Amino acid sequence: MKSKDVVIIGAGITGLSVAYYLSRNGVRNIAVIDKSFPGSGSTGRCGTGIRQQFTTREHIVLMRESVKLWREWETSLPLSVHFRQGGYLWLLETEKEVSNFEKYVKLQNLFGVESRIIDKYEAKQIVPDLDIESIAGASWCPTDGNAYPFDTVEALKLALKNYGTEINAFEEVVGIETRGGAVKSVITNKETYSTNLVIDAAGFGARKIAKMAGIDLPLKLYRHQIAVSEPVKVFLEPMIVKGELYFTQTYRGRIIGGTDLNEPETESLQSTERFLEKYATELLSVMPVLSSLNVMRQWAGFYVVSPDHHPILGGTPVSGFLVATGFSGHGFMLGPVIGKLMAMYVLHGIMYLPEANNLGLDRFKKGKLIEEKAVIG
Amino acid sequence: MREISKHPVLSFERGKRIKFLFEGSPVTAYQGETVAMALYRNGIDVFSESPKLHRPRGMFCAIGKCSSCMMRVNGVPNVRTCILPVREGMTVERQKGLGEKPSKAVKYPPPVIREEKVAIVGSGPAGLSAAITLAENGVAPLIIEQNPRLGGQLIKQTHKFFGSERENAGKRGIDIASEMIESVKKAGVEFYLNSTAFGFYEGKTLGVFAENKLLKIRSKYFIFATGAAEKMIPFEGNDLPGVFGAGAAQTMMNVYGIKPGENVLMVGAGNVGLIVSYQMLQAGINVKAVIEAAPKIGGYFVHAAKIRRFGVPIYTSTTIKKAIGERRVEKAVIVSLNKKFEEIPGTEKALDVDTICLATGLIPSVSLLAQSGVRMKYVSALGGYVPLRNKYLRTSLPNVYVAGDITGIEEASTAILEGEIAAYSILSDMGKDVEKELSDAISELSELRSGPFGAKIVFGMKEVQYE
Repeated sequence: MKSKDVVIIGAGITGLSVAYYLSRNGVRNIAVIDKSFPGSGSTGRCGTGIRQQFTTREHIVLMRESVKLWREWETSLPLSVHFRQGGYLWLLETEKEVSNFEKYVKLQNLFGVESRIIDKYEAKQIVPDLDIESIAGASWCPTDGNAYPFDTVEALKLALKNYGTEINAFEEVVGIETRGGAVKSVITNKETYSTNLVIDAAGFGARKIAKMAGIDLPLKLYRHQIAVSEPVKVFLEPMIVKGELYFTQTYRGRIIGGTDLNEPETESLQSTERFLEKYATELLSVMPVLSSLNVMRQWAGFYVVSPDHHPILGGTPVSGFLVATGFSGHGFMLGPVIGKLMAMYVLHGIMYLPEANNLGLDRFKKGKLIEEKAVIG
Repeated sequence: MREISKHPVLSFERGKRIKFLFEGSPVTAYQGETVAMALYRNGIDVFSESPKLHRPRGMFCAIGKCSSCMMRVNGVPNVRTCILPVREGMTVERQKGLGEKPSKAVKYPPPVIREEKVAIVGSGPAGLSAAITLAENGVAPLIIEQNPRLGGQLIKQTHKFFGSERENAGKRGIDIASEMIESVKKAGVEFYLNSTAFGFYEGKTLGVFAENKLLKIRSKYFIFATGAAEKMIPFEGNDLPGVFGAGAAQTMMNVYGIKPGENVLMVGAGNVGLIVSYQMLQAGINVKAVIEAAPKIGGYFVHAAKIRRFGVPIYTSTTIKKAIGERRVEKAVIVSLNKKFEEIPGTEKALDVDTICLATGLIPSVSLLAQSGVRMKYVSALGGYVPLRNKYLRTSLPNVYVAGDITGIEEASTAILEGEIAAYSILSDMGKDVEKELSDAISELSELRSGPFGAKIVFGMKEVQYE
């Protein structure tokens, strides 16, 4: 039996980021537990993108703050996370789409995100290899960008190591004990941790973990696939989005991207031929010059999707059991701000960004859902 | 320049001369050889520069398994030139660091879908023997091969095989290969050369990039006989041109009639190191030394005796410390090891060699299977990650079979038997009466492994076989 001030379940970007901000603020008696290796879940499988071009106040404000923190991480963490503000170039096919995005851009500008609508010729100036024939215009935000998931995990791991915060990898949570409606302990296949505070940051395992505490999280798992090409010299810094397609180039030279197959819920993480074919077709219609590049790898991960595509953050009916999940495909980009929000919540009992107050689990009971229109890939 | 003119076993039929452009200057090649071989024969060692430090890089494996020979060909980056046949007028350029993006969009024809009964990936001894067995029993398989020739690594084995008559004892590997290739062709088995299988989906579809078109092979059964890749070992300068896999040197000499170098250090005195050393002597190459980190020679005594007769020293408890050279290997420094495999200071010795061959083991080529979700296990005795399978060589995916070095590093004779077993298992699953042939092949294989050299394999097999 070990006694811990906080037990964080999940060593993806969310769990590590919460642990980082707690450690930075003096809380060191923490255990971060993961059933596999850090970053083994959705973090290590993600598409690397970091954007602020969303359609709700909650997402826009949280992501605006997250981008600030990403920039800070790049200099303050002990290793580079390779955060790059190459921008997000969102290609729009019809005039109607353009006018919709004009509204989103207005909202984004209102909350301090410098996005704007551009015409197709400007899009071509930003990315000369684009085929702009079927484009009506684009939404462009130069401060969006991407970071490298594995470098981010390594940087956070090293930061935590420097603080003396423990990460217990390959340890599986098998039970959560509560007494009188409050958390008492976390039981794993190796250890029992007595604690009053548990943070469920288990990504696609979050629902299962919450169930152990008697809480039903309204989450669904959708498989999303990604492919990377062999490396070539970096020539593409923005993330390109068109319909369900998105792609960019990592600093290591690989074209990384994905698309959506609109599949039903599944537990499989197998890659499919259908994905590769759809992705390649869409990719080449936007950037034909990539046709002779080989695919190096493809893989699948889960979008952990909440009913309104927004995160579920904060307290639950079980005292001391907090959740940070339901990112609906945006967990990596939100990582820094979620870590800071949750750590501040633990320390001070409030969400330091008021918008996060709208993201509690109780919103589903109260029927206060927030609809996000810009979910891609 | 580097052509082998006289050889005691082989005669080289060279195709007609054609020309292509390398860095803007014309290079003469023989029709039928690969770009990398043509360049090397013309004295070109450096194929690219490394991505970060811009160190010179040359060819390493020569059979399409690594990325060492990648160049820009006709404006397309990252082309494995060791398996790309030369064509008249093609342009070949060095990549300085990572390759530049493609210069233009290449138009490909629409994908071809093929419905097959059995698809075989790899045409080495395992793949060929499976194909022959299937064809003999009335089932026509389709073979996918990424190299420009059928036969895998058997086409460069000029030595005579041991074992019983059933396992082709006394025959040279090259002759076994030509017989098998002839049988396959005679039986009308269809095959794609220069075709890389890049993905295997849901146990049903194999994606293949066949020269300039996409093939989608949907098959009832699959046999993966993808072989193995040579291991690199860590030492200073190990990326210099002139450091080759021993198998690569063998390909250069015995398939293309090219000398890898004039003065060679062979690292590793297992069977591969000893046999390739002997073949180098046959090709008129000076083998300065064979070194072995272990205190004893790993390979058969007869092979060691052969090269000793030529006066080649074999130093045991010795390893390579570094390779020295500007644009290719000019010297190698070797060092003695103590019983704990630690270097003994002061025992360094420099050898004047232009080539270092690594015969330091092989890794099963399992990436396609791993990607497709076949259950794998790391077994050191078998060379690395290998697929779990039952004694009929069926993997954890139904209708997916394995044969040859992909199941664990062994030799051509066992690969041939495994190919038969996989084929008979499929035939039996199809309802053909081949029970006797299947059980005969299985017992023959275990007999073949019953010698002292098979003990390690048998030990390793216990880790990966399920009922």
